[in-house]
Amino acid sequence: MKKLFAAVAGLAVMALTTPAFAHFQMIYTPEAAMNKGGKIPLALVFTHPFDAGHTMDMGKPEQFFVVRTRGENAPKKTDLLPTLKPMNWTSLTNSGAAWETTYSARGGDHIFCLIPDPYWEEGDGFYIKQNTKVIVNVGGEPGAWMEPVGLPTEIVPMAKPYDRWTGQVFQGKVLFNGKPVSNAEIEVEYLNHEPLLDKKAFAKEGKATAPQDAFVLQTIFADDNGVFTFGIPKAGWWGFAALDLDPDYTHKGKKCSRDAVIWLKAVDMK
Amino acid sequence: MRFTGSKGTGSKYDPQETVLVNQRRKCMTIYRASLMFGILILGLIFAPVSMAHTPLCSCYDNGDGTITCEGGFSDGSSASGVELRVESTDGKVLIKGKMSEDSEYTFDKPSDAYKVLFDAGEGHMVEVDGKEITE
Repeated sequence: MKKLFAAVAGLAVMALTTPAFAHFQMIYTPEAAMNKGGKIPLALVFTHPFDAGHTMDMGKPEQFFVVRTRGENAPKKTDLLPTLKPMNWTSLTNSGAAWETTYSARGGDHIFCLIPDPYWEEGDGFYIKQNTKVIVNVGGEPGAWMEPVGLPTEIVPMAKPYDRWTGQVFQGKVLFNGKPVSNAEIEVEYLNHEPLLDKKAFAKEGKATAPQDAFVLQTIFADDNGVFTFGIPKAGWWGFAALDLDPDYTHKGKKCSRDAVIWLKAVDMK
Repeated sequence: MRFTGSKGTGSKYDPQETVLVNQRRKCMTIYRASLMFGILILGLIFAPVSMAHTPLCSCYDNGDGTITCEGGFSDGSSASGVELRVESTDGKVLIKGKMSEDSEYTFDKPSDAYKVLFDAGEGHMVEVDGKEITE
């Protein structure tokens, strides 16, 4: 009995430890709020951002597009999938297949949306599919950043994810097929190692040190209306991943966690 | 608000009515002063509203001899119909037009130095130097 207890406890510890290595789909570009338009680089990397740890191999994404909105103009959708070029991204522990492109941004909101190829996670025995959104604004003229794009799983920001000062709160609404997901579980992680686009690698030095694993990956829950709130303690990019929003979803006959990811970039008030 | 209350309690049965009337007069002065102060505050409140409506204009070189200027406001409202002028550096108007339904205006790039003026009325003007317009 004691042995069984120890085994169960051991498994429980493992189960609790595993989420510390959370997966985050990134659509990385250095700036979320730009003063002037121009060409911006985009890197699609599936990784563990706080530790700059194990970077997973991405397959060819199902969809990658941008929705541009400016003022009261009608949204314009542009397919970016044909522009993607494969690359290898180097983490602190390995390197993984990733994608890159450049995009010419003019004024307004540019909502980048990625529907990736499901990733088989051997360790967990299920697929992961993180539909990801990043919003870049040029010139300060807002567009439809607060509107759902219509992804199957989506986090809709309730504040501009590109105008947050450090210390402000950020709220988002978790949607599955356009409907709020009450009490959705959300993992939050800080992009602690700066992505060096010229080297296609993370910087070795992190910006923050976690005193304990719970700080690496923070878990929060949405309320009954699918709304979550997070206070931003440090400048930089923060990722939010709402997990398993469609519990019955499968891919190739196996369980697939259908997640929704959004990133924000906070700036120090100086 | 407390002053309104004292008005109510200052009924004719009050033995200290004269005192109260004096107080009321004093109160009226304070009331007027606070009313004026209130108007001042209101003015201050409304001033930032117009600031929350900052005009924005960005221009891009389309690489085909034309320039497109996109206008708008920081609150996201449309700039459709707003006047746009292209002027030479000495202030001569070269091109004059209005922002389209999509709040943009495209014109042929002048051969000499120029500036773009997005004119949404007094205090709502944006000037863009032609030298700073790139692709």
